[in-house]
Amino acid sequence: MSSSYQNAVFPLRLVDGRRLERRYRDVLLPGGTLCDHAGRARVLPRYFYEVTSWEQARATNLSRHFTVSEFIHTDVREAPALRVFPRYIPCATVLLAFALEQLREAVGTYVFIGANGGYCSPRHKGTGAASPHCWGTAANIYRIGDTYLDTPDTIRRFAALAHEVIPTVWTRPLGDQRALTDDHLHIDLGYVVSVPREAPGESYNLKLAGEPL
Amino acid sequence: MQTRPPKPPPVPSLRSTGDLRERFAELEQVVGARSLAVAISDFETGTEFEFNGDRWFHAASTIKLAVLVGVYGAIHRGELLLQSRVHIRNRFLSAYDGSPYRVRGDRDANAEVHREIGRTLRVAELADSMITSSSNLATNLLLDLVGLDVLQRTLDSFGLEGIDLRRGVEDELAYQHGINNRVTAEGLVGLLRLIEEERAFSPALSRQMLDILHRQQFRSGIPAGLPREARVANKTGDISTVAHDAGLVYLPGRKPYAIAVLTEWEPTATGRSTTIAAASYLAYAALIADRADVE
Repeated sequence: MSSSYQNAVFPLRLVDGRRLERRYRDVLLPGGTLCDHAGRARVLPRYFYEVTSWEQARATNLSRHFTVSEFIHTDVREAPALRVFPRYIPCATVLLAFALEQLREAVGTYVFIGANGGYCSPRHKGTGAASPHCWGTAANIYRIGDTYLDTPDTIRRFAALAHEVIPTVWTRPLGDQRALTDDHLHIDLGYVVSVPREAPGESYNLKLAGEPL
Repeated sequence: MQTRPPKPPPVPSLRSTGDLRERFAELEQVVGARSLAVAISDFETGTEFEFNGDRWFHAASTIKLAVLVGVYGAIHRGELLLQSRVHIRNRFLSAYDGSPYRVRGDRDANAEVHREIGRTLRVAELADSMITSSSNLATNLLLDLVGLDVLQRTLDSFGLEGIDLRRGVEDELAYQHGINNRVTAEGLVGLLRLIEEERAFSPALSRQMLDILHRQQFRSGIPAGLPREARVANKTGDISTVAHDAGLVYLPGRKPYAIAVLTEWEPTATGRSTTIAAASYLAYAALIADRADVE
């Protein structure tokens, strides 16, 4: 790890999504729920890091080799409010970057996340039911080193490696039907929500805390 | 180097369209094409001419002209911006059964778009690649983005006939099942008229489309049958059995004319570009003669 990274203060501002302007709340749905393919409610992240410019995204590492820019590279299918800066990424994206770092170390070369393959808001036109991309915990890897992951063999090989180095990772099964993959490796950590210690949160309210254990 | 027709024929006047029709019929026979169709619309004289103008052909890459107009329709409606970024992904769904297919990089005239797979390009860059270097990947990405139905509805809104947009490029399964993009010479000339008359959404957007067509890299068809001072904004189309070109021709001292030359061939036939150039020359010569008669 480089000394500059070690000593750097993490520059992104932590924000409570529920306190953002309405145009952001409407697309980030902070703390809201999405329904997955099995009909289960999944609670969306509430806390985000704010990214003020592309330059900042390029200059800010989430792990040794992965910068913020790699996780916010979306296209015209993203909600208009999130196609301009400031942009927001769920705090758990940092955990994804750490997981990808394990893969990066195992393959010994660059790991490329595709456009629309990092964080996508719940209003992104390409996200299906409760896609973990909306949690910032999924990555679509289209290339590793000089190898494009567009054949069953390459996808299978790197998926196996991902499972080896990230024990609980989920990879999308191979195939050309809906919800399968044939031109990238989709890996995700599931519906992980990260709440940093400095996150403001609400005051503790016993009535809202549910039944005691 | 441009290919020019070997022997310039005598100049027939468009006032006797029968003569020109005979010329095209003769050309069709001499070169051994299965079929030849030509449509001309002259903004200088108001002359309209067609030879098999309503005959349907496999569109090949001339359909990209229709896709261009459809994309600019989406821009006009505010659904897209020229600077909007588009994910470059080589995966499309067949119009036949929804099964996935890819555009082959080794068959695409433009490798640059393929090099961007995984990243993004702007709508403007894709539109440019689709027309100037006939990128199949760029075409399918734009078609996917705007949607086949939306594109066809945009074309229909102009009351255009002769453009039938049914699928993406290189959709082999759809091709095997007879689902093809089709055009007529009159349909393509109708599209070009929209652009030249600045009726394609707005004068500014029409001019932008025209600028793209002017940057065309394939010049062995219509432009090759014209004098060097001619400027041509065109779109070609070429597969094993058809070769087409459609464009707006600008000559000094006169308003432009729109022309589409569509040809169908045996797969082993040669001389396609030369034939289109010859047809282009016949049209040019007839129009110039027509103007000379007026003066």
